[in-house]
Amino acid sequence: MSDRSEADRLKRETLFERLVRRPEIGSFIVMIFIIAALTLASDGRAFNALGTKNNIAIIAQFGIIATGAALLMIAGEFDLSIGSMIGFAGMSMAMMLKWGLPFGLGEATPFSAFIITLAMTLTLGWIIGTIVVRSGLSSFIVTLGFLFFLRGTTEVSFRLINQSTQISGLPDYKETSWFADIMGGEVFGWFYDLWFALGGNINRKGDQWVTGFDARFMWWIILSLLAYYVLSRTQLGNWIYATGDNKDSARANGVPVNKVKIGLFMFTAFCATLFAACQVFDTNTSDAAKGNLKELEAIAIAVVGGTLMTGGFGSAIGVVFGAVTVGLVANAVFFIPWIDGSWFRVFVGTVLLAAVFANERIRKRITGGI
Amino acid sequence: MTQPYMRVEKLVKKFGPFTALNEVDLEVYPGEVHALLGDNGAGKSTLIKILSGVHQQTKGDIYIEGKKQNFRSPREASAAGIGTVYQDLAINQLMSVTRNFFMGREMTTMFGHMKMDEMNQIAHDEMLKIGIDFSDPTQAVGTMSGGQRQTLAIARAIYFGAKVLILDEPTSALGQKQQMEVLKTIKRVRSRGDIAIIFITHNEIHSKLVADRYTFLALGQVIGSGSKAEIESQDIRRLMAGGAEMKDLEQELANL
Repeated sequence: MSDRSEADRLKRETLFERLVRRPEIGSFIVMIFIIAALTLASDGRAFNALGTKNNIAIIAQFGIIATGAALLMIAGEFDLSIGSMIGFAGMSMAMMLKWGLPFGLGEATPFSAFIITLAMTLTLGWIIGTIVVRSGLSSFIVTLGFLFFLRGTTEVSFRLINQSTQISGLPDYKETSWFADIMGGEVFGWFYDLWFALGGNINRKGDQWVTGFDARFMWWIILSLLAYYVLSRTQLGNWIYATGDNKDSARANGVPVNKVKIGLFMFTAFCATLFAACQVFDTNTSDAAKGNLKELEAIAIAVVGGTLMTGGFGSAIGVVFGAVTVGLVANAVFFIPWIDGSWFRVFVGTVLLAAVFANERIRKRITGGI
Repeated sequence: MTQPYMRVEKLVKKFGPFTALNEVDLEVYPGEVHALLGDNGAGKSTLIKILSGVHQQTKGDIYIEGKKQNFRSPREASAAGIGTVYQDLAINQLMSVTRNFFMGREMTTMFGHMKMDEMNQIAHDEMLKIGIDFSDPTQAVGTMSGGQRQTLAIARAIYFGAKVLILDEPTSALGQKQQMEVLKTIKRVRSRGDIAIIFITHNEIHSKLVADRYTFLALGQVIGSGSKAEIESQDIRRLMAGGAEMKDLEQELANL
């Protein structure tokens, strides 16, 4: 018998080994690769002043809904209704702004339209969550039902009230409403001011070219920081992981599993509403087809970011890397003129599969191959 | 040793027409290991489910430190100091040792902010107390051996106030070496002196190694009980087989 104890079998890890075991490592490498490839292939145009703004715009859009989808996936559930929820929320806000508040409550302001819409979408999220935890059915099928239900409701409502499935030409509320401005306006102007001051960011006339990022960039940052903090540092985060890993043992230890799940379904609904609000107040338009397929892109990004399909594992930082990767590729066609835009889907499909295999390897390494 | 921490008197449990437990008595003392032995279907699981508040008895009473207390829920049982470590351990593989240790009972400041450093320290110290020096409490539980996981579950139960520790077949799914680890852990918990352990097992050898007191169940009834001195070792074998003589069994097998 040697003096070795069980504990000796687990070797202390170096900082590098720790980093390599983090769930976001795969997505980080892919992201670096994509940034390098896009910079080369576009002669740097992808990251000039306007290119950066446009890339960030789509990355932030992806990031907002992927954060919601990832948190829910960590807790072991899916939400396929995100895309339809975006359409529904956008329709609701635009319609109130055009036709007034429901029940004859008078003119809508951007803020009141948003709050009433949010109340509806959170209620829908609560209903979806409650159905899932009460029935014990797969969230895949329940939210698939809501994917159709909400998209249909959106189209029917549009035709009944508006006679057309789109609204355009709303006044530019950003001029008059602080709320519309923080949703659809510009943020971080200092970044581009600084860039200009340093001698870049100049248009052909020699003036400052770009003045700021889309406001959704700020919301994405806030949401990601919040998600990171909640997952890594709070009791709620521990409950989310526990719920997704093994809900029976979580329940046996006193974790309110059902409340966690319902809360997260409401959170994805919130993310979809935020997405829609940024879109409506940015473009002053709405369309019944908005948000189509976004639920699948959100799930794909969450997986590319290292979230396990089976729950219990994932990270907010990984989702950030995933959103950057997928967002850049989605935009690549604008910077590389000779490329066919459909390569985007080929790429996402390939990376998604690769990510699933990589995640499975990471999971095995963490659980000792079980 | 004068007063048992927990006393069970004439416990009866019926599931419809089926009598799972029939007037079972049990006494557990602090600082002792009480082995609960019996064949499959003898009623061991039903008994521990009543003791841990999952089921309610049909008749009979449970006394904690002399006071009558019947549990209507697992929460009530754990508040009374009953800590049950089930076979599946209620442990999550992908989560770290600390996160498992405090699962559902996290130490928090405002807004649910976890005191991670303090929690890591406590998890490490509590595991060390019963014999495992787990250097890195942020490591995922999936990397631990079966014996270490048992230790984690036991340390957790003790830290959160268990005075009676119910171990449901803790050695059954482990290899020999790890079974010994678990038995060592049981010994260490016993030597604290303030915790009573109910050790449920199939394994006669394991029970002989650690137990101070025995209760044998067969077909829902106690067919033998007593301290180590009172129960002869050959008695154990006979009682384990539900009261049948080994000789009879040998005869029966020979006749086939």
